[in-house]
Amino acid sequence: MFDLSLFWEYRAILLQGMLINLLIFALSSTLGLTIGLIACVGRLSSFAPLRAASAGYIEIGRSIPEFVLLIWINNVLPFALSTMLGERIHFSPILSATLALGVVASGYFAETFRAGIQAVPRGHLEAARALGMRTPRILGRIVLPQAIRLMLPELMSQNIGLLKTTTLVSVIAVPDIMYQVGIIGQQEMKPLPLYTGTAFAFFLVILALTTLVHHTHGHLRRS
Amino acid sequence: MNTTLTAVEGERPCDTMGADPSVAIRVVGLKKSFGDVAVLHGISFDLPRGQVLSIIGASGSGKSTLLRCLNYLERPSAGAIWIAGHQLTFDANGEGARHSLSAAQIARVRAEVGMVFQQFNLWPHMTVVQNVMEALIQVRKLNSKEARNRAEHYLAKVNMLDAAARYPARLSGGQQQRVAIARALAMEPQIMLFDEATSSLDPELTAEVLAVMRLLARDGTTMVVVTHEMAFAREVSDRVMFLHDGLIEEDGVPSVVFSNPGSNRCRQFLSKFLG
Repeated sequence: MFDLSLFWEYRAILLQGMLINLLIFALSSTLGLTIGLIACVGRLSSFAPLRAASAGYIEIGRSIPEFVLLIWINNVLPFALSTMLGERIHFSPILSATLALGVVASGYFAETFRAGIQAVPRGHLEAARALGMRTPRILGRIVLPQAIRLMLPELMSQNIGLLKTTTLVSVIAVPDIMYQVGIIGQQEMKPLPLYTGTAFAFFLVILALTTLVHHTHGHLRRS
Repeated sequence: MNTTLTAVEGERPCDTMGADPSVAIRVVGLKKSFGDVAVLHGISFDLPRGQVLSIIGASGSGKSTLLRCLNYLERPSAGAIWIAGHQLTFDANGEGARHSLSAAQIARVRAEVGMVFQQFNLWPHMTVVQNVMEALIQVRKLNSKEARNRAEHYLAKVNMLDAAARYPARLSGGQQQRVAIARALAMEPQIMLFDEATSSLDPELTAEVLAVMRLLARDGTTMVVVTHEMAFAREVSDRVMFLHDGLIEEDGVPSVVFSNPGSNRCRQFLSKFLG
């Protein structure tokens, strides 16, 4: 069960599967960061209805398990839309996966953004205001440069979590690495070494990413 | 106090002050509430140009709030302020505040009024010289070379030029505060506000910051200083104001306020400091 020769034999198709994981990660991370930033701005807005709507969205995003949302967006949402619009709507599995993982991630990203922005001491803003600086400049020059440094380590570990979560998408028939492992395992009647290989492959990818994170963080600290 | 100076809408640069160009700050009927809590109950005073005014009083007496209203870091609830040739005017009719000033107008006033904070508030992601240059570039629109020259001039003035390339976290509290003073001075404001500038420093560091403030006072800078440093207030100010519960309880030259105050509360307050 630790013999990786079968894994190596199927390396081309397994690599394809891993690339699908990375693709879904990139798409859902981009979506999550974008929606997360919008939700964070809404959450910090002085306009109460927008603040409430953003807070509600963030809570929903963080409360539904990815596994459940994957199945819901792939099966229930197209059905509901079809009924509503009176025409047949179909989501490709990759679109469903991107939406589901992106929505959940956006809730966490939004809170990380908010924590980063709120961690910049109020006095730093007041000092800028007292010198006659205007809000857009204060955000761009004083708040964001500090907030990004503060939130970067957390954002990076959340993204690593998101990459791991992409291994759930085979449940809606996205041909990712776990999906391929399942098929090959059935064909060859030897699933166990394939799972070991997959675990090892993810370990290597994430080790590389974590090393990059530590390196970047250290670099930012020094600057 | 000139009672004809009731609140008028909008900003009228120099308009009313024009009659009396020797006045740097005129405050009329200034009130400020935070929700239901009234902090300032109606403050009125004139401060002539070139004078140093110290505001003293117990915690919660409203002295920091008064100072922060002068550059609109707190929005006054009612009353009128003329400062640095600009008018910040608020509804005095008791119908709630009308804030007719645009963000641009407020920013223009603030650029003429320097402020130094208790917590220094230097920006940690910028070096000392970048801290001083930032508003010169963003607000005064100097190019980077001019801004650097001016920043270095003022850093030299507070004896911090050697630390120009360092980050604030590497400096002592007193050094940080001197940089913060240089940052405000470099804007060449008409008026300087000090909000308990030495309250978070130990005595030795307090002395170096007070030395810089003394220097400014000697140069004829118009200053409003909220402070607990009674010796400084007595020695450097042209005028001392004692605030109690959001009202001016005592207002006069230091020799009178410190030696023979008319108000009992002021006498009690001072006895805690002067023994």
